[in-house]
Amino acid sequence: MNALVQVLLLGIALGGVYALMASGLTLIFGVMRIVNIAHAAFMMISAYITFWAFTVYQVDPIVSLLFTMPIMFGLGVVIYRVFFASIAGSEKLGELSVLLTFSLALILEGVLGYLFTNTYRSTNPDYAIKAILFGPFFIPASQLYATVLSLLLLVVFWIFLRYSRTGNAIRATTQNRESARIVGVDVERISMIVFGLGTALAGASGSLMTFLFSFYPGKHWEWIAILLSLIVLGGMGSMFGALIGAFLLAIASSYVSFYFGPNWSPITFFLALFLILLIRPQGLLGKKMEA
Amino acid sequence: MTPLTISKKSNPETEMSGMNQLGLKTKFPVVAGLVLLLALVPLLHLSLGGFGYWLHMLLYTFMYIAMASAWNIIGGFAGYISLGHNVFFAVGGYFSAVLLVYFDISPFLTTPLAGLAAMVLGIVFGLISLRTRGPAFIISTIALTMVIKIAFDNWDYIGGSNGISLPLSSLSNEVVKIPFYFAFYAIALVTVYSSYRIRHSKFGLGLRAIAQDEMKAELAGIQTRQYKIMAFGLSGFFVGMTGAIWGDYLTFLRPTIFLSILVAAKLVLMTVLGGKGTVSGPVLGAILFILINEFFVTVLGGSELNIVATGLLLAVVLLFFPKGIVGTLKDKGLLPQFLDWG
Repeated sequence: MNALVQVLLLGIALGGVYALMASGLTLIFGVMRIVNIAHAAFMMISAYITFWAFTVYQVDPIVSLLFTMPIMFGLGVVIYRVFFASIAGSEKLGELSVLLTFSLALILEGVLGYLFTNTYRSTNPDYAIKAILFGPFFIPASQLYATVLSLLLLVVFWIFLRYSRTGNAIRATTQNRESARIVGVDVERISMIVFGLGTALAGASGSLMTFLFSFYPGKHWEWIAILLSLIVLGGMGSMFGALIGAFLLAIASSYVSFYFGPNWSPITFFLALFLILLIRPQGLLGKKMEA
Repeated sequence: MTPLTISKKSNPETEMSGMNQLGLKTKFPVVAGLVLLLALVPLLHLSLGGFGYWLHMLLYTFMYIAMASAWNIIGGFAGYISLGHNVFFAVGGYFSAVLLVYFDISPFLTTPLAGLAAMVLGIVFGLISLRTRGPAFIISTIALTMVIKIAFDNWDYIGGSNGISLPLSSLSNEVVKIPFYFAFYAIALVTVYSSYRIRHSKFGLGLRAIAQDEMKAELAGIQTRQYKIMAFGLSGFFVGMTGAIWGDYLTFLRPTIFLSILVAAKLVLMTVLGGKGTVSGPVLGAILFILINEFFVTVLGGSELNIVATGLLLAVVLLFFPKGIVGTLKDKGLLPQFLDWG
């Protein structure tokens, strides 16, 4: 019984991180209908920046969020202009955007692999090996910090979406791009900002990833597969769906890991995806997909 | 109703006879000549020697011609992008490998069965995933790759993540490539011919209707669900067959070789480069891509830069020639007749 509660705690302690990782992905899809296959490759870029800052200048990975997020925001804006600005209104955007971001992911993976080789990397600040005790139970300090920080970031982001002018414009564009344009939202500018924000969120999760999981450039495929499954489960484009999906799957996969071994834990995400496609193709909180 | 007039306009019969008038007589000899010529390359190798590299490059090209043409059946004709086709490649490869290692049956005999195994997987997966479309479908194909990768990595019977070695062929080094050459050649011919027949059948017409507007296709009475599942299964069948022969050719199978995302990326790139939804597009795309790739490998060497080049090429084609070479040339009326097979 104790073991089962412990496994539950470990699952919860990763849920926030998964939610942060998925938030940028679902945000970009919600506003622009772009499925960003390169999202996890962006996480890798930020992870490498964090890794080198830690290794060379001993910058704490959590502190490095202060610069990885702005850097990734800038990178996102540039990439949006180069790759997506011209096709934003195109008819088969869904399909085209998947293939374009797919090619972008290949490019980023190749560049990272060329620059940093395929060696496994991770950072090890002191909290990476500490655990925090709650009576008979424990949570690794790294996971607790990362999840709490992730949830904090998500709350800040939610407040921004809810109460700022730009946030309102973003939500309006998510609901209906055309109507938003009619009421005077500069949809192009909003798209660019959203792509930047989504990339910055990928950057934040990439920094946190360095002390939770080891990584190498090709690893992003495993991450993107997990994250995409997660947002389909939650309902594509729904932020709360992604949050619920993240916690559900983090917990489920930690039980799978407990019973069948850690090799099998990622399969939870994919089986959940197939299950949801069978019973509710639009996802938990998703709206019916338009034709 | 509009859908009816659409189907009347592009009735397969009239289209076929139209093509006859449009020079099937002139382009048939060109293609037949090419097909014969390629069958003679092994003879050249046997009589003069030293064509080993050519045999290898050609059989590799045949393999990708078959796979890209197969991908095109679901990805091009029906417009359902799959990033998980390397699963069929792996299932076909492992199916024949296991039969060889444990039961001593040559993959040359079990290739069609390997194709069928892949087809069954395609149909089962299709029953679940073809309920959705667009981005969610593409995502489910990525998830399929991951599920199979995890399963194969942890399945000791088939060698797990270490892979499985096959017995070496008893043939001498000089001739060992020749049976593989003909096997891939045959698979490529069968796949491209099937793709041509599908393109000009009622089935193919239905698939193209689905690609254009699935709602309307359904309203026009097309069994969209059956059509899609069948297209996906057939597509898997041909890829599964190539996997069986490729595994035997390598004499070593490992999940990372067969389930590499790069294999899936190549199929997409070749088809998009040549022209999605056309018969000759994937063929041309496969040939061109392999030529370009050879060039990159000799000039750039490293496999990492190779990945960058693949990605860049795909991005450029998507942004500037989304219809691919065949589609773009056709729009401008510049497509050579021997490439115009619909």
